[in-house]
This record gives sequence, C-alpha cells and structure tokens, in this order.
Amino acid sequence: MQLFLVQLLNGVQLSMLVFLLAVGLTLIFGLMNILNLAHGAFFTMGAYFGLVVANKTGSFWLALLIGPLLPFVAGFALQFFVLQPLAQRGRSTHLDLALLTFGLLFATAGAVEYIYGSAFHSIATPDFLKGRVALLGIEYPLYRLFIITVGVAIALALVLVIDRTLVGAKLRAGVDNREMVTALGININVLFALVFGFGSALAGFAGVVSAPVMSVYSNMGIGIVVTTFVVVVVGGLGNLKGSFYASLIVGMTDTFAQAFLPEAELFAIYALLIVVMIFRPQGLFGAAGRIA
Amino acid sequence: MSAETTLGGSKWFDVLKRVPPWVSHRASAVWFLPLAASLCTLPSFASGYAMTLAVEVMIAGVFASGINLLTGYTGLVSLGQAMFLGLGGYGIAIGTALLGWPLWVSAPVTLVAVAAIAAAIGAICTRTRGVEFLLITLAFSQMFYGAAIKLRWTNGSDGMSGIPRPDLSLLGVNADSPSTFYYYVLAVAVFALVLLWRIVNSPFGSILIGIRENERRMMAMGYAVANYKIGSFALAAMVCAVAGILQSQYTYFVNPDSMSWQASGEGVLMVIIGGANVILGPFVGAAVFVVVKQALSLITDEYHLFFGIFFMLVVAFFRGGVLGAINTLIGKRR
Repeated sequence: MQLFLVQLLNGVQLSMLVFLLAVGLTLIFGLMNILNLAHGAFFTMGAYFGLVVANKTGSFWLALLIGPLLPFVAGFALQFFVLQPLAQRGRSTHLDLALLTFGLLFATAGAVEYIYGSAFHSIATPDFLKGRVALLGIEYPLYRLFIITVGVAIALALVLVIDRTLVGAKLRAGVDNREMVTALGININVLFALVFGFGSALAGFAGVVSAPVMSVYSNMGIGIVVTTFVVVVVGGLGNLKGSFYASLIVGMTDTFAQAFLPEAELFAIYALLIVVMIFRPQGLFGAAGRIA
Repeated sequence: MSAETTLGGSKWFDVLKRVPPWVSHRASAVWFLPLAASLCTLPSFASGYAMTLAVEVMIAGVFASGINLLTGYTGLVSLGQAMFLGLGGYGIAIGTALLGWPLWVSAPVTLVAVAAIAAAIGAICTRTRGVEFLLITLAFSQMFYGAAIKLRWTNGSDGMSGIPRPDLSLLGVNADSPSTFYYYVLAVAVFALVLLWRIVNSPFGSILIGIRENERRMMAMGYAVANYKIGSFALAAMVCAVAGILQSQYTYFVNPDSMSWQASGEGVLMVIIGGANVILGPFVGAAVFVVVKQALSLITDEYHLFFGIFFMLVVAFFRGGVLGAINTLIGKRR
C-alpha cells in the first residue's frame, strides 16, 4: 500500500513535468499547425541556462526565474524569423517545418555537447524544499510535492488565462479562424511568435524544475520529448485539456510499469499509444477524425 | 512550374514532390551508361577507401529507397523507418548467429517476418495522417529501440556480432574480400532498384501516387486506400530490412543504434537531398550524405551539431534535392 502511494505520487510528479512540455507543444500545434519536434531542445536549453544561473548566483529561485528566458527568446526567434517567413512565402509546408525542427533538436543537443561536454550535471535542491514530509503514513520528498504543486498551478492558470481573458479569447479565435482574427486587426504573427516563445519557456521551465531530481545532460531533451509526443497524440493534437489528462494517463502508466512490471518499462506507454490508436486514432480527447 | 503543382493535391508534402522531368527521359541513358560501367569496374581502379564508401552509399541508398516508396511516392512521411533497418539486421543475426540457420533460410524468413510485422504496424499507423503519422511511426521505432536495448538474449545495448556474409564459394569467390562484397551489395542494390522501379510504374504504384496527390479522390474512385497504404508500408519496410541485412553483413554485427530515430532521420534526409519521388534520388542523396558525413568526421567530432544544421539547411533551402537543383539549373539555361 505504501509503495503504491509513493508510486502514485511519483506518477503524478512525472505527469506534471511532461504536462509542462506537452501543453506548449499542443498549444503551438493547435494554433500554428506546426509540430515542433525541437520542443525537447528548449527543455535542454532551459535546464542548462538555469544551471549556469544557479552556478553563478547560487540561487535555485533565480535559476527558475531566469532559466526559461533563453528558451523564450529562442522560441520567439525561431517562429518569428525562421518558421513564419518560411511558411508565409510558401517555401515550406507544415511537414517540412516539422522536419526542420527535427534538425534543430539534434543541432541543439550537439551544440550543448560542444559547449558543456557530455558530463551529467545537477542543480542543488533549495534548502527550503529539502527533506521529506510525512503524508498518509509515508515519507515523501518535499521537492517532488513542489513539482506537483507547480504543475497543477500552471494548469489552472492556463485554463483561467485561456478561458477567461482577452488574450485567451484571441488565442481560441486564432485556432478556430485565423483569417478572421487577422481581419479584426490582431497582429497574428507577433501573437503566434509570443505563444511559441511562451510554450518554449514552459519547456525550459520544466527543464529547470526537473534539474534537482533528474540529471542535466546534452541528450536530456531527446528522451523526454518522445514521451511528450505520446502524450499529445493520446490527448489529441491541439487539445489543451486533453494534454493534461493524457499527461496523467501516460505519466501513471510509465511510473507503474517501471515499478511493478520492469520488463515492460520501455514499451508500456507505446503499448498504451497503440491501443488508443486502434480505437480512437484522433486521440482520446480529440475532435472527430478528418477523412482524407 | 512542373505539372504536379497544378494537380491541386494537398500542400503538405511539398519538399517531397519534385519530379525533374529529365530523369524519366530516354536521354538519361546518356549519363546512365557510363555510370553503370564505372560502377561495374570500380574495384579494378578504386582504392579500398573509395570501395568502402561505395558500399556504404549503396546500403544507405537501398534504405533510403525504401523510405522513398513510402514517403516520396505514397506521401506518408515516417520518422521510424530505422526500426525496419534494425529488424532486418536483428532478424539475420538471430537466424544465423543464434539459431544457426544458413543465410539462405534466415534472409527470406527475416523478410517475411518483417513484412508481417510491418503490415500489423502499418495497419495501426495508417489510421492517422500527416504529423500524427510521423509521430506514431516515431513512437513505434522507439518501442523497438527500447526493446532491443532491454532484451537480454540479443545482448541488449551491446548488440550481436558474428553475422556471416553470404557463402559464395560456389562461384569460387570469398565474400569477405572487399571487392566481392562490393559486387554482392551492387547486385542486391540493383535488384532492389529494378524491383522498386517496376512497383512504382505498375498500376499499384499509380494508385500509391494517386493517394499522395489526392486521397479523397482515390477513395471516391473506389480504391481501398487503407489497404494500399498498408501494402506500401510493408513493401517499404521490406526494402529497409534488406538494407539492414546488408548493413549487418557489412559490419558483421548489429546493435540497437541502427534503430535510433537519428537513423530514421538520416534516411529521410537522404530522400530529401536526392529529391523525393525519383527512383534514383535516394541513391544520389545517400552518396551526398555519406560523403558529407565522412568529410565532417575528418574535421570535427561534433557530428550531431553539424548533422542538425545540415538537416535544417537542406529542408529550408534545398527542397527539390540535388536532382531538382540540377533540373532548375538546366531549366534556367534553356
């Protein structure tokens, strides 16, 4: 029972981390129709920039605050100066752009390896969040609870922003009818680039948050981004709430498989994906499928 | 503008849709014959290093040709084809090294097994399209990659060694010698190419191209589009598996890295470099890729960095591939 509870919490913690990546990925896809395979690169970028800040200042909180800035700028620049112009000039289509970001994923991993080598790093857990707390008869690391709290808080904030604010209304309108939004005088290119940057910043934020519990290394983004892909496909590409539920499903599946069925550890989530694809190819929470 | 842009098909696969018309011209025999002649006589004048490169180019070319059938002709962009490259290599390794079967049993069994697995995977993957298809093929290949690392009886991440080259003593030659192995790979590559050429130019191939151009219309015409997609997927997988078999014979071993998504990406890159949907395109792309990779390895250790940058540049600026670029040049001069 205790083991089960620990795994349950671990599952939620992993889910929240993956959610931070998946929500940006699905937001960018829903809005711009761009599948950003380089999303893992922003995760890596955030983690390393956070690492640099943490080493310089010795403060985890500053790292958490400043770390996501680099992925934000990089994401904004990628969309505004590369992807958007390419798409607009009709030079490249959506799938080409996905392939371009695929190259970017490897280029970033390579660049990080070039600058920092392939060693494993870590950011120290802040004093305030060290230690364990007694919870329902188990001792659970405080920092992992912090990750869960942060994930839930960001999910709630996103729901509020998207459902209740003017910016959210513009975003939803942009998903539904891009031409109409442009006609209403909204600079959609800037809005899109900002969203791209924001999604990238969330991925970078996840990178910093995960740094005290997972290792920081050059290929860290490539591993987690595949899990993220499974999440967005299971949740339905472009579906924000779906990505939250799917994060929980995938995170739980992965954690419980690792704990109770170690042989299946590496395929549990793919098996889940396959089952979902057989019965609902548009994703569990996706809209009705398109025909051709 | 070339004809296919006026067909009104979806704009999704723009990179993969350039047919330099001159490739299909009869005039192509003018450059094809000297090429064929030099390929046949290569071992008599080339250095060992050049032969190694040629073998690598041909193996990569077969792999990329498999991807081209699926991606260039059927219009399904997959980032998971390396799983079949790996399955081919592992199939032959399990057959020969583990079960002790002779090669002429292992190879067909491997290909049939890969076709069956690919048909099952294809039946699931082809339920999606576009980027979802790309993601799910990627997920499948990661699953096999994970399995290959995890499985104890295939030596996990160390991979399997001791894969034999074909026994050609009947012909009085030894396949362990570089020049004999070169001819063996050349023969297989030419056979695969001719087979693919026949497939692409058959009614079956026309239907695949029809699916790429306008899937809805093909459905309306009464074709069982889903079955054709699965067929294309399985055929492409078999071609990739042939490349996997050659690859593992070339290096005498196979490891999970052959299934990594970087390997899949390399294959797609070769197809784009060469110009998708041209039968020789993947071989041209493979040649450029292998040479660039070799050159890079001479000047830098940071392969990933340059692979990534190279990939981005090709996708962004080099859409028609090498053959497309030559075509544009010729077009301008006229």
